[in-house]
Amino acid sequence: MKGKLLVLVVLLTAIPLFAHHGGTSLYDISKQITLDATVTEFVWTNPHVEIGLDAKDDKGKVQHWILEASSPPVMVSRGWNRKSLQPGDVIKVTFNPATRGANVGRLIKLIKADGEELGRALAQ
Amino acid sequence: MRNQSLWSAVWLLGILGLISVGLISGYSAASAGKPIPQPPDLSGIWQGKAIQSLSPSDPSAHKPGAEGDIPYTPWALARMKAEVPATGPKANFETTTDPAIRFADPDGYPRASIHPMRFKIVQTPDTIYQLWEYNKSWRQIALNRPHSKDPDITWFGESVGKWEGDTLVVDSVGFNGSTWLDPIGHPHTEDLHMIERIRRVDPETLVFNFTFEDPKAYTKPWDAQLTFKLVTDGIMTETIYTISDELSFRERFLNEKPPIPIRPSN
Repeated sequence: MKGKLLVLVVLLTAIPLFAHHGGTSLYDISKQITLDATVTEFVWTNPHVEIGLDAKDDKGKVQHWILEASSPPVMVSRGWNRKSLQPGDVIKVTFNPATRGANVGRLIKLIKADGEELGRALAQ
Repeated sequence: MRNQSLWSAVWLLGILGLISVGLISGYSAASAGKPIPQPPDLSGIWQGKAIQSLSPSDPSAHKPGAEGDIPYTPWALARMKAEVPATGPKANFETTTDPAIRFADPDGYPRASIHPMRFKIVQTPDTIYQLWEYNKSWRQIALNRPHSKDPDITWFGESVGKWEGDTLVVDSVGFNGSTWLDPIGHPHTEDLHMIERIRRVDPETLVFNFTFEDPKAYTKPWDAQLTFKLVTDGIMTETIYTISDELSFRERFLNEKPPIPIRPSN
């Protein structure tokens, strides 16, 4: 299972969230995707933290994704810091995909290889 | 040694006696005159809830322009319907007309207080300051003085205040008309006259009651309320939203090429 694309599409009730940056209009909040992935970059920036990652699709081809998280203060309040992730970290990550189909998304949750789950950090 | 100890004891008793006389005199003076009223203490770090709209009936902005409790003029209603918010149920981030998102314009006031982030109140006898962690912006409320004769037009307006019992009443004018009152896009003009009644209703809760008067935008005054809770960890962080951040996000997430390179590569 590890390293293999795992896609879960979950239909959820649309919950309006305060989304200052990319906003819910960019992401399909009725869908969630979960990937086993490798971190390529972790950008601790304003207004929202960004996570780059590589993950194999169902044909074994590596796809690059960029995820939007929350603002640094919100991330800190949920247990994150600017060193929470490093390039090369192996993670399982769940996010809302973009509505327009590009490989971007909004982070929902993230579990590191050692089992540590970093706090939910919805874009806010 | 014994004499030295004795003299030390005498000195200590003398000093204590002088302090006691001073305290008694002070209490006597205070009790003899009128009590000096102390204004409530609003200082501290405060944080509100995330809302989209100042409309009391529609804080989540499901029906902007048709809330029923905001008396739009035709001009304001047309403008409200033309705006494309970046947040809320009817948001479109890619086409938003929100000046604070599209151009990283200052939020102005009261929008600065609508982020789910913190602000700090610093209270002095003649001025009260609000310091927002978002965009590191600030506002001052001058106490017990009138407005300037011809206030400059500014993003945050000119605010003067006075205490009425336990309530700070703030009168603000001189807004530039470029900002939205809230994230959903309620408009105003340079004629906006805003009255706030600010009260610490309990040690952990600060309530701002607003009245907005703007005859070009609203046919009559309308009211709104924001509530904030005290935060006691003392932390104020930095979140600054810039146009380069916006262009970088659009390049990385939306594949929109920026007009010029955003930042030199390291």
